[in-house]
Amino acid sequence: MTNELATVLADLEEQRVYGLVERLLGDGVDPSAILAACQEGMRLVGERYEAGEYYVSDLMMSSAIFKKVAAGLGPLPGGGSAGARGKVVMGTAEGDIHDIGKDLVVSTLRAAGFDVTDLGINVTPAAFVQAIQETGATVLGISGLLTISFDPMRDTVLAVEAAGLRPGVKIMLGGGPVNETVREHAGADALGADPPAAVRLVDAWTETAR
Amino acid sequence: MSGRAPEGAGSSLFDERLSRIQRAIRFEPVDRIPVVFMGLAFAPIHTGMPLSKYVVDGDAALEANLDAADALGDFDGFNSFPGWIVPYELTASWLSRIALPGVELPENTLWQVREAEVMTLDDYDFILDHGWPAFVESYLPRVIDMDAFLRYDEWYAGGLAAATERARERGYPSVAIGGTTIPFEPLCGGRSMPEFFADLYRRPDKVKAVMDVMLPHMIELGSSSAMSGYAPGLWVGGWRSASALVAPKIWNEMVFPYFHRIVEAMAAQGLISVLHLDHDWNRDLARLLELPARSCVLNPDGMIDVRKAREILGDHMAIMGDVPATLFAAGTPDDIHAYVRDLVRDVGPTGLILCPGCDAPINTKPENMEAFVAAAHEFGVTLRGEDA
Repeated sequence: MTNELATVLADLEEQRVYGLVERLLGDGVDPSAILAACQEGMRLVGERYEAGEYYVSDLMMSSAIFKKVAAGLGPLPGGGSAGARGKVVMGTAEGDIHDIGKDLVVSTLRAAGFDVTDLGINVTPAAFVQAIQETGATVLGISGLLTISFDPMRDTVLAVEAAGLRPGVKIMLGGGPVNETVREHAGADALGADPPAAVRLVDAWTETAR
Repeated sequence: MSGRAPEGAGSSLFDERLSRIQRAIRFEPVDRIPVVFMGLAFAPIHTGMPLSKYVVDGDAALEANLDAADALGDFDGFNSFPGWIVPYELTASWLSRIALPGVELPENTLWQVREAEVMTLDDYDFILDHGWPAFVESYLPRVIDMDAFLRYDEWYAGGLAAATERARERGYPSVAIGGTTIPFEPLCGGRSMPEFFADLYRRPDKVKAVMDVMLPHMIELGSSSAMSGYAPGLWVGGWRSASALVAPKIWNEMVFPYFHRIVEAMAAQGLISVLHLDHDWNRDLARLLELPARSCVLNPDGMIDVRKAREILGDHMAIMGDVPATLFAAGTPDDIHAYVRDLVRDVGPTGLILCPGCDAPINTKPENMEAFVAAAHEFGVTLRGEDA
């Protein structure tokens, strides 16, 4: 039935997802297994997005369903699989208060099993550095929808370097106007062009580190 | 408002530039591909006007843009008429609070839409029961200070007409004055994108019913805000309804039919719909062929493949664009020069108006804007080919 759960989540059949989760819990299925099935569903959603079958609205809907299921399952023994794949710090660059794209990447990374510290919007370089130091994250994601975020992105990369953290931290950028020119300007490692691409990137980076 | 420019008034430069723009829209040969300015936050920065003043004073906003255009080169006009009041126009389009310089933000910081779920699910029922105007009247106090809103409204009632005449005297037409959008956009802004997109899956019938109630008012907004004597068109904008953001089933039912109805209504009044489209609409470019021929100008922001658009659309609609904002902020004059050269070669020479994609951003390097105008003049003439 967990396979079915992954499928109906991938098909965005919201009410069927909730009904199945309730039945599985009633049957005594381990909540960690339910979460894993939902993560598989999210992986399928990502595949469909990359194949051009799904669009951002589908990503957002799947994310809303996943978040509701995960919240309903509550804290899992041993944390479930959350965080097992690596630690990430995310935020929108200083001066920019847009969060929709960043939020979608955060929820997609969490659904994929990463431990994400979300610093929100308008995050200063110092706050990014502090969060990396406190969490031990090996990946930093900086988002920006406005061109005014370009210099703060660069300043953040410089601050990570100045704190001596750069060798152990991979940095990705994301957001509408962010392209290779901006990545070069900021001195970041890569672009996370969309949520599935960001997951793939973080997965590759953390796998190398594991 | 459908103000007509008085006979014989204004400068011949205005008439010459307006004619150039109109000929480009009609795919007629031009002596030079028109180039228009669009740098709504860059203009005050470039002219030294505090943003805190610029955003709430329509006359000051116009002066900053006129001065910037004068200083930066020989533009043929503006994309959208820049006598505007930021919170008035953005609040109406987004139904969201706008964070303003000098209020919530430092004096020279860019204004930003503060998106949140302000509109509730119950508001859908209110609109269905009481209509769109009653809803807007009851809703606005949630997102804007009404004393300020009424002051801004007074300026639009009286000052805007005078402002358009001043721009005419300075020799600057606009491609668009006024505008509207499809019902999708204000609903998305009011509900917030995550909530609204979920609504599209959870309660599509109700959302569509609300859109149908709104549509006549969105058409009226377009008709009443255009000023055909000063600009051939008006903006008909789309941003969150972009093809890359919305699943095809939803787009086909909740997005395109409303664009279609609005464009047809504007065309019936002789108005050109400037399809100011943010983000990526490549999937659905062929649908634009269903709109009346020569009734629109496609105005992309750099994320639509304009070569593909030209190939698909042919001479069905002119293209206005699309030097990307990122290039103005982070590129070099050489980058801009090359972009304009390639754009003219591949998309011109007729049916093209050169313009920043969406809007040259606040941190545009002045030398990049100067390079843009210079390249437009250089290639707009030398690459115009046999047609001209």
